[in-house]
Amino acid sequence: MSSSTTSGRGGEDDEDAPDLVCQLDCVQGMVDALSSVRWKRHQDAVLELSEHGIVLIVEESGCLQAKVYLKRELFVEYDYAAEGRPRFGLSLGLLVDCLNMFSSPGHASSVEIRYPGPDMQLLLKSVASPDACIFSEIRTRIPDTLASDYHFQHAGNTPLSFTVKSAILKESIDDLEWPGSSIQIKLQPDPPSVIFKGEGHGDLEIEYPYYANTDLLIAFQCDREVSYRYKYKFLRATTSNVPSSVLKENRGSKVTIGRGGMLKIQHLVSVGRPGMQSYRNVAGGAQQPSRIAFIEFFVKPEEDEYTTDDP
Amino acid sequence: MKFKASFTDDGISLLDKRFLPAMDKVGRVCHVYFTPTHAMLLHNLLGSTGPDGGGPQCVAQFAKDLLFREYNVSSRDRNRVAFTVDIALLHRALRSALAVQAQSSAAGDAPAAIQVKLVNKQTAGSRSAAPFLMFETKGARSAVVQDVPISRPLSSSDVGRLQAALDAAQELPETLVQVPDLPQLQSLVDRLKNIGDLLTVAITQYGDLHLQVSTSLVTVGSEFRRLRILGVRANAPVGDQNLSATTRMDMAVERGEALSVQVNMKHLVKSLQCNLAKPDCTFYGIAPQGACLTVIFQYFIPGTRLMDKSITFYCRLPVLDPGNG
Repeated sequence: MSSSTTSGRGGEDDEDAPDLVCQLDCVQGMVDALSSVRWKRHQDAVLELSEHGIVLIVEESGCLQAKVYLKRELFVEYDYAAEGRPRFGLSLGLLVDCLNMFSSPGHASSVEIRYPGPDMQLLLKSVASPDACIFSEIRTRIPDTLASDYHFQHAGNTPLSFTVKSAILKESIDDLEWPGSSIQIKLQPDPPSVIFKGEGHGDLEIEYPYYANTDLLIAFQCDREVSYRYKYKFLRATTSNVPSSVLKENRGSKVTIGRGGMLKIQHLVSVGRPGMQSYRNVAGGAQQPSRIAFIEFFVKPEEDEYTTDDP
Repeated sequence: MKFKASFTDDGISLLDKRFLPAMDKVGRVCHVYFTPTHAMLLHNLLGSTGPDGGGPQCVAQFAKDLLFREYNVSSRDRNRVAFTVDIALLHRALRSALAVQAQSSAAGDAPAAIQVKLVNKQTAGSRSAAPFLMFETKGARSAVVQDVPISRPLSSSDVGRLQAALDAAQELPETLVQVPDLPQLQSLVDRLKNIGDLLTVAITQYGDLHLQVSTSLVTVGSEFRRLRILGVRANAPVGDQNLSATTRMDMAVERGEALSVQVNMKHLVKSLQCNLAKPDCTFYGIAPQGACLTVIFQYFIPGTRLMDKSITFYCRLPVLDPGNG
């Protein structure tokens, strides 16, 4: 991308207006959401701003990409003044560490996020008290060109997907560490089931049969057999840092296999204040979608897939 | 050279519950210094006092009557005695003396007196005598004696240097600001220390305290405003609330209404451990010419808001040469 991506300023008569000033009333949910795509200590990320919200993108080895969607509804205030969609790179670890500075147990942790600062930094500032504030300035950089071939398309007319409790998915993938580096994921319509198979230092097969346990597969869509292999380390990255709140809230994760075996795994992370969330649950029955951050992982299959039913 | 004293109840519990735990966190070994009027625990006044390496200077000074009932110290060096001691050993001896005292109280006896004196003893397997601080807890039915090994008493010239270092530390910062919530500061610094090793501390005459860590990729800081001020003060410029915290600090330094220094994060973390001594209030200040960062802990006379002058407790954090930053 060119340098212009980092400077999508507002109109000429409003040179000083920042591209984005937004405010978050509870920083912990954002920390959870961003931590879930932090699979190693030093990790670069790209932030993309738009009138709809903030998207954080992380990528590794051209085979794994993760996106965190923070919609504008998650923010108490969201003033967007840029033209185009400003993008900039920064260290994900630093962003998470800095956001963590603002979350102190027992204190309101409202934080204002502003971009760009005078030197194109991302500025964070606590806004809870006028007499005590925490601030941080994170240096940004011009982002590298992102590989564009993560474009996800369904493999046929019917999406091939299943939804399973996040905790179960995580546990299964954790268990698959033992056999080895390559994991086969197979969806089959007859009998309707999902099979994870690892071969290496021994074999391990984990099967989710659709009819056996109604609580296991929350949803299952598959009209033909499909099977691809994925590198274990990339699969593991998709669940290794799922925040404990997701597991506690018993949420589901959706797994879809797209054209060419591209694997998409989606998690939902609640970003609301813990107190307010229970109120909403009582009033509305379910969590309001506006307080949810969407996390998506895309994993490319290994080149030497041995069976594929791609049309 | 002689030293002999009996602890007061308040004195021994002050040491046991507050000062020894705090001093132990600052460094393992400290100087103990007795003068005819005061007893002191000192860290790093003569450079490093232990294997922990350098660190903040830390001075806990008590009027003799606060700690001791009978207090006799005599030496050829103007009746001053100083030595080093392992704080954990000293604390262990104090705690067990207190336990013996509690047992005799529980048995209905008069509370046992806890006496401490400087002795030279020949230990088993050793040919020469070694110095000890001997704690003797005498109850009605039993007496328990504990010997805490100490260093050889400091030479007259070293005691002179120690006193000179104490005298040099008397110069107060022109402006001191009171930090109302030390645990909050501690939790902030605990998180800041993940970011970097060097901390910039700035104190303005408007009562603002800034802490800031900068690396090539990130600057993280905290600003506490409108704190209580002791000493030189100035009115904050009108409209400065609209500026960023960093700009406010830079402008105050430029106007000569603030001082800013860089200290080692580890030193600040250690000095915050002094909170274990449960001070009633804490002030931060920067010595003239930015010589050091001074943290002064104050105690009130119990039941009042009056300063207890029998306890002096402060830390001085060495300032890093900005040229090395």
